[in-house]
Amino acid sequence: MQRNNRNKKQKDGSEGFRPVLLGGAVLTLLLIFLVFIFGSQEFGPVYKLVLDATGPLQKGASQFAVPFRSMREKYLDLLTVREEKERLLQELQKCRTAAYANRGAVALNARLRKLLEFKESSGLPTVTARIVGKDPSPWFRSVIIDRGLSDGVDKGMPVVTGEGIVGQVYAASANYAKVLLTISPSSAIDVLLQDSRVRGILKGTGGSTYRLEYVLKTIEVAKGDHVVTAGYGGMFPPGLPVGIVSEVTRNRRGMFLEIEVVPAVDFSTLENLLVIEQKKKEFRPQSEAGYP
Amino acid sequence: MATLVFILVGLLLAAVQTTVFMPGPLWPVAPDLYYVLVAYVACQFSLCRGIIILLPVSCVMDVYSGTLVGLYPAICCCGWLLLKFMTIKMPVRKPLYQLPLVAVSYLLISWLSSLLLDILQPEAGILWSWPPMLFRAGLVCLFSYPLFRCFDFLDSRLRGKFSFAGPKGAGTGNQFRQDNKLQ
Repeated sequence: MQRNNRNKKQKDGSEGFRPVLLGGAVLTLLLIFLVFIFGSQEFGPVYKLVLDATGPLQKGASQFAVPFRSMREKYLDLLTVREEKERLLQELQKCRTAAYANRGAVALNARLRKLLEFKESSGLPTVTARIVGKDPSPWFRSVIIDRGLSDGVDKGMPVVTGEGIVGQVYAASANYAKVLLTISPSSAIDVLLQDSRVRGILKGTGGSTYRLEYVLKTIEVAKGDHVVTAGYGGMFPPGLPVGIVSEVTRNRRGMFLEIEVVPAVDFSTLENLLVIEQKKKEFRPQSEAGYP
Repeated sequence: MATLVFILVGLLLAAVQTTVFMPGPLWPVAPDLYYVLVAYVACQFSLCRGIIILLPVSCVMDVYSGTLVGLYPAICCCGWLLLKFMTIKMPVRKPLYQLPLVAVSYLLISWLSSLLLDILQPEAGILWSWPPMLFRAGLVCLFSYPLFRCFDFLDSRLRGKFSFAGPKGAGTGNQFRQDNKLQ
């Protein structure tokens, strides 16, 4: 009975204290709020302490969220990847086509630039021509060009590129001409070794090299010597590049050296040519021209 | 009409051979398409029609190629005569069996031409070399079958009859020629 009365008294006391506690707490919060609003707005030491304490927690949580975020982004990317791939493939195709065209244009530009340089430096009257057909026979080496008598191209005229001599006009019609290449087995021209000024006859082999003949064994010819046109016959202007000596053979028999010359012109990529306009001269292939 | 069309086809072949199949002046593997036409004409056409077709085609080849005037007409004429003789004497007259003959005749005529030129025109510097010529004969053989089919198709269309059958190799029944008449 006594215990019950004591409990009742304690209950009444704590119940009386509760409103006071609540009021105090509200007042405290209100005070804190007012201090915040009208205070100096500075980040106090308590806040700093709290920030330091909770910062690692935030950091850990944010790092934990990173893989989830990237997974979400990857998933969203996957939704558009097919369209993107097709678009990029199309773009790549366009770029490749453009690059291919550009490479062609650059190569053409380089070739034409060389032709122009030769035209300007030589001071000779020339006609620019393009190859329209090539001789398919394994025995002859000739090409058809898109210039003829109406353009001033005539039989016997020398044909060159920026790199060196190519051949001479073998036959011409009103609008087209046939050029006998210097690599043709029936071609023979007067040449000089540029340094020693030794004369020889350059003959075509039908392949990608020339054969320099009638150079005496007593003469020193070295690999790498430059060969130029002699200009004796008047067919080719003197000093035009012909090729470079690539091999010299001294046979025990015979009077002459066997010399192989690599052409200055790359015949496999021949496209644009220059025909040097000069006075008509009777054109005779090889032996008819008086060569031995 | 058919003769004129085949002349045009021959000119087209000559143009294709000297442009499309010749990327550079030193390109070694250009097929001699004109010779396939020579072979077809020899195998399928009459004497008179063959001459009418081959004369302009060989003249154009002479213009496009070489420095010896008359070489291609001579090659075409000799090849045509040889093939005509071979097809007359051959017991089987099917295109598939005629293809090796085309290559063999090409090789033989080329060799004879180079031999004669070497004797008669030594300054031309024509040298015979077996590997490239064998390769070229192989190319002629290779291009013969599709071109023969194309020519057959064209000829049949011009005559108003065509049935596109598959490759006629070893068929059933008697494969030997029953008559000796020229086609």
